[in-house]
Parts: sequence; structure tokens; C-alpha cells
Amino acid sequence: MPSKTTKTSVLLKSSQMFKLILMQLSGLFRKSLNVIMAILAAAVVGSILMLIVGRNPFVVYRLLFQNAFGSERALFITMQRATPLIFTAISSSIAFRTGVFNVGVEGQFFIGAIAGTFVGYAFQLPMILHLPLSLLAGFLGGAAWAYIPTLMRQKLGISEIITTIMTNYIATFLISWLTNYPMRETPLVAETPIVQNTARIPQFVNLNPNLAKGTQAHLGIFIALAVVIITWYIFKYTKLGYQWRMVGLSALFSEFGGINMDKTFIGGMLVSGGIAGLGGVVEILGVWRRYKDLFATGFGFKGNLASLLGGQSIIGSTIAAIFYGGLEAGALGLEWSTGIPRQLIDIVVGLIIFFMAAQGMWSFLNKLKLKNGKPGEGMMAFVKRMFTPKRKEETL
Amino acid sequence: MTYEIEMIGIRKEFPGVVANDNIDFAVRKGEIHALVGENGAGKSTLMNVLFGLYQPDAGTIKIRGEEVKFNNNLDSIAKGIGMVHQSFKLVPSFTVAENITLGHEPSKLGFVDKDAVRENVIKISKRFGLKVDPDSRIRDMPVGIQQRVEILKALYLLSDILILDEPTGVLTPQETDELFEVVRSLVATGITVIFITHKFREVMAISDRVTVLRDGKWIGTKDTKDTNPKELARMMVGREVLLRIDKTEANPKEQVLTVENLKVLDNRLQEAVRDVSLSVKAGEILGIAGVEGNGQRELVEGIIGLRTAVAGDIRINGKSITKMSVRQRRDYGISCVPEDRYVRGVALRASLEDNLIIENYDKAPISKGQVLNLKKIAQHASRLISEFDIRTPSSKVIASTLSGGNLQKVVLAREIDARPKLLIVAQPTRGLDVGSIEFVHRRILEARDRGAAVLLVSAELEEVMSLSDRIAVLYEGNIVGTVKGGEATEEELGLMMAGITDEGEDQRDSHSVEQQVSQEV
Repeated sequence: MPSKTTKTSVLLKSSQMFKLILMQLSGLFRKSLNVIMAILAAAVVGSILMLIVGRNPFVVYRLLFQNAFGSERALFITMQRATPLIFTAISSSIAFRTGVFNVGVEGQFFIGAIAGTFVGYAFQLPMILHLPLSLLAGFLGGAAWAYIPTLMRQKLGISEIITTIMTNYIATFLISWLTNYPMRETPLVAETPIVQNTARIPQFVNLNPNLAKGTQAHLGIFIALAVVIITWYIFKYTKLGYQWRMVGLSALFSEFGGINMDKTFIGGMLVSGGIAGLGGVVEILGVWRRYKDLFATGFGFKGNLASLLGGQSIIGSTIAAIFYGGLEAGALGLEWSTGIPRQLIDIVVGLIIFFMAAQGMWSFLNKLKLKNGKPGEGMMAFVKRMFTPKRKEETL
Repeated sequence: MTYEIEMIGIRKEFPGVVANDNIDFAVRKGEIHALVGENGAGKSTLMNVLFGLYQPDAGTIKIRGEEVKFNNNLDSIAKGIGMVHQSFKLVPSFTVAENITLGHEPSKLGFVDKDAVRENVIKISKRFGLKVDPDSRIRDMPVGIQQRVEILKALYLLSDILILDEPTGVLTPQETDELFEVVRSLVATGITVIFITHKFREVMAISDRVTVLRDGKWIGTKDTKDTNPKELARMMVGREVLLRIDKTEANPKEQVLTVENLKVLDNRLQEAVRDVSLSVKAGEILGIAGVEGNGQRELVEGIIGLRTAVAGDIRINGKSITKMSVRQRRDYGISCVPEDRYVRGVALRASLEDNLIIENYDKAPISKGQVLNLKKIAQHASRLISEFDIRTPSSKVIASTLSGGNLQKVVLAREIDARPKLLIVAQPTRGLDVGSIEFVHRRILEARDRGAAVLLVSAELEEVMSLSDRIAVLYEGNIVGTVKGGEATEEELGLMMAGITDEGEDQRDSHSVEQQVSQEV
């Protein structure tokens, strides 16, 4: 008798577990459904554009995919492109999730890069110290840059949305001055001296010439993944992560519950800025090895976008950053092999974001479609209806 | 006989619930028909079907004997149905006249004809005897008058069937009486009124007939004069309910909370709490009665530390906590059930587990060092869910999926489980149904009997009177009187809430109050 009851209770438990897992999975599916639909819609509109400029969209998308994920080399290029975006995406996600609007990831990225570059070329140290110190300098540079808007909000009550945007410009011009004057190496180009060998992040080709031939993919990807795992752990398993999440979900509730709002805000901002800065220095030490004025732009903004694409979750934005990196690698390859301007791909990316933001449009379409059905079920009903055989509908 | 409204066999299903299950509902012309039921019984759904906001899955609607089909609320408005929602839909920065005519403004050459707007509003307000000043702005008006504007807005669209969705929730007893007068005068002009409520006093006071819903089903329709609150409660809940909770005598012990000459500012930096002194002993409930907006919110937020005290002192067991942070005060033994449950009480987008640990996430066994113990968090949540009978499919769902009553249980569970020395409960049963109210009241009494000092703030006079051992009345930031719980009458408290004290001194004139305060200071 007792064994029977335990058996049924186990059965019950496992069926409940199963239900719960199913619920979570369907939740996940539901969440990513928006993204998938947005990507599909963007691909369709992108196809129209390609047809207008006289390209076969199927060929373009095939080449895009091949150049992003289709070969070992493509994968390494994607990896190299995705590495900085993972940092900036995580940086953005931390800020978003903590309820802080850090639009200054861009500036923090480059300030971190220049700070790390300086430590990288100015000192002679053994690698075991030099590399970590350079990385630390990047982290601190980014955090310090993020501290300026933080301070302005705490002391003067100025919204960080405005100040983080403005500090991006200041960062760009400050670095321009630094690379043109005090840190300039030769009169010919506005660039800093090259970083010491001891401060460089090895590239895969350095380790094995056959591994990632013709790419600049570097071991910085492991630092990026470590950051992903650590922040994921913080959010899920620590008190700090709990405070961050709660403040992000409801500031008023958190304040009522006794969470120190100032501390959380400052902490979220500094860590977000630090990770952006770390991304900057990793990019320099792994790929460029010196700071050329205006060597690139947009890492921060792309990170913001990847974070949005990934639903602001740590894992989601990491996947989105890799996807974004793949698109970039693919676009690059396209440009080389067929001469299709990569701006076309940028447009597709823009369209993806646009269609994600246009969720209201989905439910609007949905409502039109289901005029006599049940409104308010969103995309799920829309999709369900699409896949339901007509016959069934008649019986309903 | 033809009814004014006839709803036959109405069925409305939402994913996972049948909100209305074969409901028949008929209203006679010129009557006041009360529609009662617990939250989730299907009242609002039924009315939204009648108002054209939802389309029923089955059933027919007849207006004056003629079968109709509403695709949206414009169709129902065209048939003369008007609805006053629970939360007002007014533009605070617009004038009364602008609000009433919004969307249907008389125009001249494509511009809004402001004079005609005013005239129309004056005309309609005269016709129905509802006095309002067409030029004053909504944000400057008390809620009672705002509601009058809402009613006028419906009447302006030529409604002769008026749905009032829980109209008294935000009113004082006096304002409620005024509303009743208004409703009666409207009915006298031939208008039909459907009155949604879950207060029996109101059903008995105003309605001609009453229909009870439970779990989406029609339970019964009665002539009001043939029924009584006890019977209605039984119909609503499906079992016997104690309308007034039995409680034992308080057994007050040492003084826990002492507030001395407290002064707190509101968001506009006006003195909301002017000079409040009070004390609560362990094992007693001090009720704070008063019309909302007389400093209750600021008083509570001042005590729990969300607002700083500009003057005065707050002590717990003799130790001053005036300078402490919210966290420190919580750790010192203060818990609070806040009045805005959806804003302060829970994080709607967070899971129940996360919502239930905000009080103790930094203490063992929930966390150790920096690390949270997810297993303990889940156990903690399931224990509270079963102890407080929170109806939820799982502790992992986000709070917004729960009903209002269950959310309040989440808040109560968390705050009472902390075993506070001082428990503050603000508007603990607002918007809850009879069954939940009984539950909440029982828990508050249990906390008292366990030795907590309880400060109860409520705009619901009945609640204050049935729970409190002592009652203090707050008016314009001052305590205008304190009475013993058992001895107070509704009339006496009502007068004090309006600022009229025994000395016959009318404090409605705010100047005299200010003078009085400045003299005291």
C-alpha cells in the first residue's frame, strides 16, 4: 500500500515537473517567436530592396549565411566580430535589467580601450601581470567614464539618458585629442604606439597557423564568455543580482522593500560601464594592438541593439550578439566576393529591430484576422490559426 | 413585460476560464439594479459585454425588446448605454467642460467652439441637477466631484442606461450619500441605473433589485426589500460568512510605536502630516480613520521611512528610528502592507518567489554570504502559499497573473511572516471581495493576538470600526480625535472625518485650520 502511494506521488510529481518544463519551454518559444517573426519580416522586406537593386535575394541570403557560419574560417570571423558585441550587449543588458538607462556604452567602450592601450604600451612587465593589468585598466576606464553621469544624477538630478549620450561625444573627442597629441607615436598617423607583446591577447593563428587562417579571431572570446557566465550567475544566484533585478522590475517596490536605490543604481552603472570598457580593451589587445583614432564606431550602439534583440536577458543578448556578429561577418564576405554593399545588410538589421518594436502591429494584424475570434491572445493565436487546418475552423 | 435590458444566456470564455457561463440578466426601465459578486465572479465581464467592449461567445442581448449586436462601445453608446468606470477616464489638466465634451466637441469651422462647449455642459448639468463648475480643472477637484463629471460625460452622450462600476470605492460616507442622491434624482428623470458593488450596505440603501453572480454563473435576482445582507453574502460566497469578524478583547502590553509631533511633506512639498502624535501598544490595533488624502499616505510612508520626517520623532520600543533607512527600520521590526498593492506591495513582473523574499533575502537561510539559496527560496514560497491559501498554479509565475485578492495575500504573507513588532496595514481590503476580506481581517487579528502592535489605516469606516481597539481620526494632517473602538458610531466618526469636532467648530475652512496650527506651533 505505502509503496503504491509513493509511486503515484512520484508519478504526479514528474507529471507536474513535465508540465512546468513545458510551460517554461512554451514561454521561451513565445518570447523568441517575436524575434523570429521580426527576422522573417525583415528578410522579406530586405528581399524587396535587393530585388529593387537587381540582386536575387535567395543568392544574397545564401551567401550571407555561408560567409557567416558556412565554413571554419567564416565561423572564426564571426567569432572575432561577435567578441566586442558580447561585451557591449552584456553591458547594455545589465543596465537595462537594473533599470538604468545607459546609452553611454559606446563611450565607455572606447575610454576603456584607450586606458587599456596606455597600460599596454607604456609599461614593461611580465605577461602574467601585464595582460591582467591592461584588462583591469580597461574595466576601470569604462567604469570611471560611467561614473560621471552617475554623479551628475546623484548630485544634480540630471537624467542619465541625456548625460550618457553626451559623454559619448566627449569620449570621442577626448580620444581624438589623446591620439593626435600626447599619445601619438609618429607624425604621420594619429595612432598610439603598439602595445607590448606581454599585453597582447593571442590570436588563434598564433597558437596554430592552420586553425584560423586569415582571421583575427583571438582568445578574448573566452574572456567574453567568462563575463557572460559570471553576470548570469550574479543575476540568478546572488543577493546583488536579486537587488538589481528587483530594482529593474519595479523601483517603487524595491524601495518599499528596503533596497538601497542609490547603491543599486551606482553599482549597476559602474559594472555596466566596466564591462563595456573591458570589451574595448579586449578588442584592442586582441585585434588592433594599438589605438588608431576612429578605428571603428558603433560597438556600443550595436550592443544596445543586441541586448534589445535578446530580450535583455544575459543568455539572449549573448546569442543576439553572436547573431549580429555573424551578420557582420557575412556582410563583409558579401562585399568582398560580390560587391554587394554591406549597408544593405545594415538595413536588414535595422528592419529586424523595427519589426520587433512594432509588436503592436502584430496584434493589430492579429485582431483583423480574428475579428470574430478571441482578441488579445497575441501572436500565438495568429500562428495557431495559420497552422490550423481549415476544416477544424468550420467545426469551431 | 419588456425589459429595458435583457441579456439571455450570455457566455464569455477567456483562455482557461469561463468568465460568464450562461448568465441571464434583466433590468426594468427606471430601476436601480445592483449587480453584486466577488472579484472574478464575472460582473465586469458581463458589463463589458453589455457595453460592447467584449463580444459574447453565446447569448443574446435585447435593448427595449429589440435584439442588438454590439461590435464595439460606439454601438452601445448609440443605443443609450453609458458606463462610468472604476478608474476615472478624465484628463486632469482639462476643465470640466472640456472633459465632458471630449471627442464630441461642438465645432465651428473646424475649431472647437469653446462657448458652445461651456453652454452645453451648463445645460446638461442644470437638466439633471448635477452641480459642477464647467471651468475648473479636474486635477483641482475632489474625487466625488470628478465622479460627477464622469456621470455627466455619460449623460452628455444621451445615455439613458447608466452602468456605474463600483462607484463608491473612492468616496467618503458623506460623498457616497451625495452620490446616492444623484442616482435617485437621475432615476426620477427616467434613467435606468446598473450599480456594481460588493458592499451590502449600498445594495440595501439604494437598489430596487439585486442580481448576484458567483464564479461566472447567475445565482439569483431578488427584490431588495425581500432580502438581507446575510443572505446576499451567502449567495455571493456560497457559504456562511461572518460579515463582522468576532474578536476577542485586546490585551495591550508595552508601548511599541510612539510618534511625537510628526511632520511630513507630500510630493508637492506641502505639509501633509502637520503635527501627529500617537502611540500603539503591543497586542492592540489602532485604527486611523479619515477621508483619503488627509495625510494617511504620508503618515505611513513617514513611519516606514519612505519619506523623511521634517519634524518630530518616531520611536519603536523607546528607540528613535527617525533617522533610519527603510532597511534598518524593517530589520528593527516594522512591516507594512502598503495601500497601493500593485505599485509598492509587489513587483508585478517578478515571480512570486522573488516577491516573497524582499523582506528576508539578505538573511539566513534564504541567503548565505552573497549567495541565494534557490531551494530555500522555493520552499519559503510554497510554505507561504499554502499557509496563506494563495491561489496560484506555481510559485514561479509572475505576480501580475494573480487576482487582486491573491496578490494581497502575497503581501500579507510576506509582511506578517516577518513577525514584526509593528505591523502597519494601509487600506488592506480595498477592492477585495467578501471572502478575502474576512481572511485578511482574520490574519490582522492573529498578528495582534501574537503580540504585534497594529496600525490600521483605512478609508473604509466599517473596517476601522470592526477591527480597531482604538480609533484616531485624521483630518488635514492632524488627529482630530481618538475614540474607543467599541464605542464609536458611524455618524460621530463621519463628522470627525469631515473636520467637524464635538465643539461644533467647523474646520472645513482651511484658513482657520492653518491659523489653529500656527498657533499650536
